[in-house]
Amino acid sequence: MANPSVIAQSANGRTGLFAFRVNRHRRQLWLLSSVAIVLSLLGMAISWLSPSIRAPLRPGLDFTGGTQIQIERLCEPSCADLKLGSLEASLRTLKLPSAEGEPAPALSAAAVQLLDGGRSVVMRLPSLSPDQAELVLNTIGPVVGETVPGDLSVDTIGPTLGAQLLKASLLSLLVSFVGISLYITFRYDRVYALLALLCLAHDVLITCGLFAWLGLVFGVEVNSLFAVALLTIAGYSVNDTVVIFDRIREKRNELKELPLADQSDEAVISTLTRSVYTSLTTLLPLIALIFFGGSTLFWFAIALSFGIVIGAWSSIAVAPTLLPVLSRR
Amino acid sequence: MARQQGWFALILALAIAAGALLASFPLQLGLDLRGGSQLTLQVLPAGAVKSVQKEQLDAVKEVLDRRINGLGVAESTLQTVGDDQLVLQLPGEQDPSRAAAVLGTTALLEFRAQKPGTEQQMQGLLRLKRQAQAVLNQKKAKAAQADPTGQPEPAQPQVTIKAEELAASLASLGIQVPPGSSEADQLDLLLKAVNTRIVELYEPAQLTGKDLTTAGRQQQQTGTGWDVTLSFNREGGVKFAQLTQGIAGTDRLLGIVLDGRSISEASVGPEFKAAGISGGSASITGNFSAEEARDLEVQLRGGSLPLPVKIVEVRTVGPSLGADNIRTSLAAALSGLFLVAVFMLVVYRLAGVVAVLALSLYGLFNLAVYALIPVTLTLPGIAGFILSLGMAVDANVLIFERIKEELRSGNTLIRSIDTGFSLAFSSILDGQVTTLISCVALFALGTGFVKGFAVTLGIGVLLSLFSALTCTRTLLRVLMSYPALRQISYFIPVSQRSEGIA
Repeated sequence: MANPSVIAQSANGRTGLFAFRVNRHRRQLWLLSSVAIVLSLLGMAISWLSPSIRAPLRPGLDFTGGTQIQIERLCEPSCADLKLGSLEASLRTLKLPSAEGEPAPALSAAAVQLLDGGRSVVMRLPSLSPDQAELVLNTIGPVVGETVPGDLSVDTIGPTLGAQLLKASLLSLLVSFVGISLYITFRYDRVYALLALLCLAHDVLITCGLFAWLGLVFGVEVNSLFAVALLTIAGYSVNDTVVIFDRIREKRNELKELPLADQSDEAVISTLTRSVYTSLTTLLPLIALIFFGGSTLFWFAIALSFGIVIGAWSSIAVAPTLLPVLSRR
Repeated sequence: MARQQGWFALILALAIAAGALLASFPLQLGLDLRGGSQLTLQVLPAGAVKSVQKEQLDAVKEVLDRRINGLGVAESTLQTVGDDQLVLQLPGEQDPSRAAAVLGTTALLEFRAQKPGTEQQMQGLLRLKRQAQAVLNQKKAKAAQADPTGQPEPAQPQVTIKAEELAASLASLGIQVPPGSSEADQLDLLLKAVNTRIVELYEPAQLTGKDLTTAGRQQQQTGTGWDVTLSFNREGGVKFAQLTQGIAGTDRLLGIVLDGRSISEASVGPEFKAAGISGGSASITGNFSAEEARDLEVQLRGGSLPLPVKIVEVRTVGPSLGADNIRTSLAAALSGLFLVAVFMLVVYRLAGVVAVLALSLYGLFNLAVYALIPVTLTLPGIAGFILSLGMAVDANVLIFERIKEELRSGNTLIRSIDTGFSLAFSSILDGQVTTLISCVALFALGTGFVKGFAVTLGIGVLLSLFSALTCTRTLLRVLMSYPALRQISYFIPVSQRSEGIA
């Protein structure tokens, strides 16, 4: 601490409102992040132990495999009454022919949901062959009543495909982590690379935690779009952190006589406006998507917005406060 | 200044070219945006092949391509994915179940002579087969009539099979019947077992579908069924003649076996004892429906698959579900972008105008590159685009914040702009390079949707370097050549400047 009052003053003079010195409050900031991480891990643990989920996040069709049928009903002027019970009953009585020498799946475990006030029907079934799916559609046709022509989706995912998808995504993520850390090590230092990855893990973990809780409380499932959201958050997180690192490097040359903690604080203060503006401009289209976008993108937009907020947080509160601690060793 | 004008002319030319490109090459939308179905087929190793090689995958694809062309589905695409998968995309409202049935079978056609001394057994099996087939056909006809639209049932001779008779036949073939299965299920099982038993009575195949030159179909002259006609090449014709000569005039039958199931059994008359059936053509009388005959014809023409395939995924999105999605999401994203533009104008004033212009150009260039490569736009692809757009905005924000800082510390306008660009450059570069590294990894190792995401993100990052560093800079420089615009108050409020000077 060579001359902290002068620095504080200059910072105050420059940006007024944003002159928050993160390293002075690092314990509180760390506490906040730690609480979020513990809550996330807790959510995933509970989700793992819950007998209906048995995974850290509630897996959607993309990961479990099976057949999902979604039907949009014709609701002009209003929807005819539809009882879930009668739908389930008609499914239960249906006997499917076997396909390709494999025994026909039993439909007793089918889960049926009504969405949008009965406008759309979503059925989750064991994996069906195209013929079998058509038979199911024919059977429930009379029960469901008139449907919107063309608004029908039938998805069948083989049970091994989800695992394949997960494996490929994780492998590619891992390789990109290695590439990113090599680049940051080359341009900055080992500690910076470690910190960038720590921040990235922090952001992805807390976003997963949110969805673990959403899955537990509201039954929100994660699908391949969620995986895309995580990839996006990872990319955003690194980009956000690197900008601050760049400024820290600059401040280290500019303010040589100061300790690293103050240099980091100065860098955060100078980039804070940029961090807030950038997050805001990225959030604007996403918030519009949340409120006015199609239903398929709703949870995707939620995940991305949350991840961007967390990403901004970690690049401001986590990376610059851990840097002085880790660099000392 | 001349250099700036050169850049300006280049940007203008690129913008016009991009516009023209978009007008002539429409964007390709993925199935999740425009509706359609997607089938994923997994090629399975079989026999001596322990793992699927690239050549085998290509061979399978070639056969499937021919079958798809035979089916006449519009605008379909078949692509290999990874080491052992193929993805077929059928846009629009085309029935995926029929494509699945036609693509999923191996279609290995064999002509086999019956082993000597098995006549007794064969007759018993054929009797059983005919009986089961007749009952099943009748059941099917009834089911069709039970349809509310159906005609009243015409009087027909009743064919029935007694329950205990069925049970006895099943038991004699050693078939385990799952409890609670219906009569139709049991008959299906019986028929399958009989067809495999019949195949056991044949000698190994001497003639296969490889020797076919073409296949066709024709309606039976008597009855309502269809026959599938076959033409052999010369070698096949010779083999067929030998095969038929060997069994002509005996009670042994000629079996036509498809994928290990006997689909037709024919006797060869004694008149062919001398030379066999020559002429190189034959027909399969299997009592097919018109559609079955067409599908079989397509499969035989396409040839048999070198390896069996299994359908592991079917995704269908109704076209209006896809269209709804894209319309609402597009409207939402555009209104969000409009807000971003307003934000940039309010915060950065004249520089904001430049940023909005540069970002509009950025969007245009992106779309033009998508049309050029071409990139099929899917939802994950749009996510990649949104992220790259966010980074492009970020690059502008970084530059303008630097310019503001320089102005606040009392620098002249032109000097601030130049310093702002050069100081912001390293952070923009680092952010973009790290993103590009992930793009390359995701594209090389990821599957399907991850690839789509990586492509648009990668294109976006490359273009945003150009957009932020060249477009923004050139536009800003060109504007600064007008003295009337060269005023610091167009960039920051005057009140902020005094502090820096003091």
